[in-house]
Amino acid sequence: MDDASLLMGRVRERDAAAFEAVYDAFYRLVYGIAVRMLGDTMAAEDLTQAVFLKVWSSPGAFAGGNFGAWIARVTRNRALDVLRSRSSRAEGEIPADVPADGELDEAVFAQLDGQRVRSALAHLPDEQRLPIELGFFGGITHEEIAKRTATPLGTVKTRIRAGLKKLRFELEGSLA
Amino acid sequence: MNGHDDAWLDSVAVLALGALPENEARDLRTHMLDCEICRNEYAELRVAADALALAAEATPQELGGAQCARLKARVMDAVETDRGPAAAPSDSRVVPMRSRGTARVWLPYAAIAASLIIATFTGYSAYTTHAENDANRQQIALLQARVDAQERAAENARAELALNQSRLADLIAPGSTQFAVQNGVVVRSGDRVLIALRRLPTLPKGKVYQAWTLRRGAKAVTPSVTFVPDATGLALVELPGSAATFAAVAVSVEPEGGSKAPTSKPNFVRPLS
Ligand SMILES: [Zn+2]
Repeated sequence: MDDASLLMGRVRERDAAAFEAVYDAFYRLVYGIAVRMLGDTMAAEDLTQAVFLKVWSSPGAFAGGNFGAWIARVTRNRALDVLRSRSSRAEGEIPADVPADGELDEAVFAQLDGQRVRSALAHLPDEQRLPIELGFFGGITHEEIAKRTATPLGTVKTRIRAGLKKLRFELEGSLA
Repeated sequence: MNGHDDAWLDSVAVLALGALPENEARDLRTHMLDCEICRNEYAELRVAADALALAAEATPQELGGAQCARLKARVMDAVETDRGPAAAPSDSRVVPMRSRGTARVWLPYAAIAASLIIATFTGYSAYTTHAENDANRQQIALLQARVDAQERAAENARAELALNQSRLADLIAPGSTQFAVQNGVVVRSGDRVLIALRRLPTLPKGKVYQAWTLRRGAKAVTPSVTFVPDATGLALVELPGSAATFAAVAVSVEPEGGSKAPTSKPNFVRPLS
């Protein structure tokens, strides 16, 4: 069990000091995702507060695994909610939430940090990196990505897959 | 749907990224229940997709100093309110953000969202005693869900009132650079510069906000557009001119019609580097 999981055990016992330690460890991640997706520092602060209040009020929602990956997904899903509410886009143009408790290769993820990921991303060709970043941070579907990049849908999907595979390869390489 | 076809694998990647529309995601998840090939692919790509979030982690330059302290104060105070005993009834209209040690600043909230949150928490603290048992935890979760819904509704209202969505979406596209400023952000996207501000104080009659640009190599700022925030305090302004020529952007309060040179202390001056 990692430090954050131990701390979350104490948060379940209503330990505010443990909560503060969790906040200190993850607020840069939560705020960073929020501001990248919402493009607005005030909305990002609101979202950060909402996410951490959720951690405090429903700590049981974290069912184990890597806490950083979990809180990142929760943050992204909440940011998608905000984008949805701002948007007049039809249902089918909005991506589905990714479950916050999915399979994850803990061994790889636990050793990663922002710097490693940024440098791995920089190794992707633009044609793969762009649709990946648009899909992840832009909160838009593959069809919208295809439209915005004037690329056929099938090509977008193939490039996303190739890009994610290469990204995983680069990340593992950076750990070797 | 049970038979595997390699064509599914591209969709699996899009699902792992979180960019598959809900209806397609549903079908694919159903397929994955029976398909080990797709499940394995998903597990492999999921770690790369999850890792993308780490790339967004804010650096101390992007989130530091006063903003950082204020944000933490907000969150910790909200949590204290959540765990604390009921507020004194006579105090029930006070925003439940306590000062602890250093002075904590709760920004004056013009936004609908915040007033709803405050109302919710104030109401909550008036009739609940301790958040120690499961029933109360459920209550908190319920309240949280309500706050979330209200946040969404308020966000929606604000957005409808003021935001030019497509333009903003373009400007937050990858490749854009954001510079945090008081009340918002300056965004440079390609050759364009946009200022997005929230919760701007309403100005007295006859006054407007004015943007200024400092051209590279210049000693004095050049007047740019004037603007007034909408009723919710929002302003989204695109600055005319080429981003490449701007070394800094500033905003100040000026008489209606604008000034040739700033006549008041700027709200912010932001170097674009
Ligand atoms: Zn399959």
